[in-house]
Amino acid sequence: MTTQRRIENIALTAITLIAGLIWIFPLYWAFVTSIRSETRVVADGAGLLPDEFNLSSYFDALFNTSLIHWYINSIGTSLIITVIVLITGMMCAYALSQMRFFGRKVLYGVVLASFMVPVQSLVVPQFVLMNDLGLINKWGGIILPQLVVPVVIIIYKQFFDAVPKELKEAVVLDGGSDYTLLFRVYLPLNWGITTALGIITFIMAWNSFLWPFLVITTEDMMTIPVGITQVNDAFGVAYARIMSVALLAAAPVVIAYLIFQKRVTEAVMISSGVKG
Amino acid sequence: MAGVKLTNVRKSFGPLEVIKDVSLEVPKGEFGVFVGPSGCGKSTLLRMIAGLEDTTGGRIEIGGRDVTTVEPAKRGVAMVFQSYALYPHLSVAENMAFSLRLSRAPKHEREDKVREAARILQLTDHLDKKPSALSGGQRQRVAIGRAIVREPEVFLFDEPLSNLDAELRVQMRLELTRLHRQIGATMIYVTHDQVEAMTLADDIYVLKGGHVMQSGRPLTLYDDPDNRFVAGFIGSPAMNFVTGNVTQTGNGIARVACEDGTLDVALQGALPGVGTDLTLGVRPEHLAPVEEGGLPVTVEVAEELGGSSFIHTRAASGADIVFERRGHRDRLDGQSLRIGTSAENVLAFLPNGKRLR
Repeated sequence: MTTQRRIENIALTAITLIAGLIWIFPLYWAFVTSIRSETRVVADGAGLLPDEFNLSSYFDALFNTSLIHWYINSIGTSLIITVIVLITGMMCAYALSQMRFFGRKVLYGVVLASFMVPVQSLVVPQFVLMNDLGLINKWGGIILPQLVVPVVIIIYKQFFDAVPKELKEAVVLDGGSDYTLLFRVYLPLNWGITTALGIITFIMAWNSFLWPFLVITTEDMMTIPVGITQVNDAFGVAYARIMSVALLAAAPVVIAYLIFQKRVTEAVMISSGVKG
Repeated sequence: MAGVKLTNVRKSFGPLEVIKDVSLEVPKGEFGVFVGPSGCGKSTLLRMIAGLEDTTGGRIEIGGRDVTTVEPAKRGVAMVFQSYALYPHLSVAENMAFSLRLSRAPKHEREDKVREAARILQLTDHLDKKPSALSGGQRQRVAIGRAIVREPEVFLFDEPLSNLDAELRVQMRLELTRLHRQIGATMIYVTHDQVEAMTLADDIYVLKGGHVMQSGRPLTLYDDPDNRFVAGFIGSPAMNFVTGNVTQTGNGIARVACEDGTLDVALQGALPGVGTDLTLGVRPEHLAPVEEGGLPVTVEVAEELGGSSFIHTRAASGADIVFERRGHRDRLDGQSLRIGTSAENVLAFLPNGKRLR
């Protein structure tokens, strides 16, 4: 290795390290804050390094808030959203990819167009709609607007398009229907993408804040991201408790990520078009 | 088992008619081969029989039953695809049993049929493997096995050996012939390879531009083609063609001046008039060096095959003429010589391509 090459490598490693430190600092700071007492957090001279190991804010978060309840709500809504989004997305993609019907291309254009509409711009009409339907503070009101995930349809279609047409013809000759083809051939052939999309949809639903925040007002029905705002209300500016709730809220996603790291990376690459 | 009958069958894709009024019959238990160059409509015709393509006009019968509008699974056909079309996520046994599972056949029946098909195709040791763990030849056998377990009335093969290497193709050809004899089913096979057609077929159907140019036993097509296209398509190396015009007739023989030489052609019907333009066709194995008469040619390349050689020559007009030589080891490269044959071995074609008999 030449000297110039070595210097380049060292410089690149340093830049990567600095970028990594900048990225991880908020998490680190949240952790350090969460294990301090509330008085220590706001005291003068509280440094960057952990100088206290106090878990009282975690106990408070777990036993003096509705955190467990919010967990259950988040898990329930995220699972329902994931399952429905995958099933409807897959079936819609199958129809767009494999069936020939009038308006197919226009319909796909609509799906593509909806992909480009920012969620925020839909908040007001969706809220009015849900209100008219009497779904404010209802599970249906939380879940329904989150079921439209065009990227799932687009990615499934892309993969279904790539399955050789002879496989479809073989199924037709074997006496299979479209459901046979979808659930016995296309789905098993694309388990990898289904897993990846499932994980990414679950994480999106878990982290979803704006819509649940608007549509839920009762504490019983809150999901974790919305619940965090209630901790703020209950304790005033209680930084350590807020940080501990935030870390506990993120924990399942972090654990899921660590278990399915490879699949999540794959899903992000696929949905961003890096990998097809 | 059942035969397949097509009557005035037509197929159009928009304004483009790809199958033009085809009528043919593959008798029960026979091995019929559709052969022709790319784009001749042979695969489309097969897919129409399978029901994978709609029929624009005409009638398709399988076993005497009109199936023109019947859905593919109810036609009693099974198809083997060029790309095998095996389900990659299923094992060999599951691939073969797939159609039986869909029809909710009892488990013991599925297992019996799969075991029997595997025995016939020598796949017994591979039943638990995934297709990706098999060689090309084994995959093709699984595809055939998948067809066998359905016990169809008609087997359809769409260029099934095209993805295999030359050696494996020869082996699979023999296996297909053996299989046909063993199960005795009606089989229709599509290929662009005339050697496959000649070696496999009971009857060959030569297609061009959506028409059946001629059908019949392989050797009938080889020895007695109806037109210049069939004469040129069947046979390897291909038949030699030279053009010329009639200079003399008599005693059932027409003498044709061509390529600075002459060839005699024996005809059974009325002889053409002097001056008629004809294309003459001669098989390479019928040509040999002659002392006088025949055509003057210059030898360019000799392909030595061991038992015989194919001598590639160039005639006066620049036409390539190939003849087969057996039992000679001397090389003729660069030599000028005359080649000829007897009048019975020469076929005559009119300018429109039709055979003059």
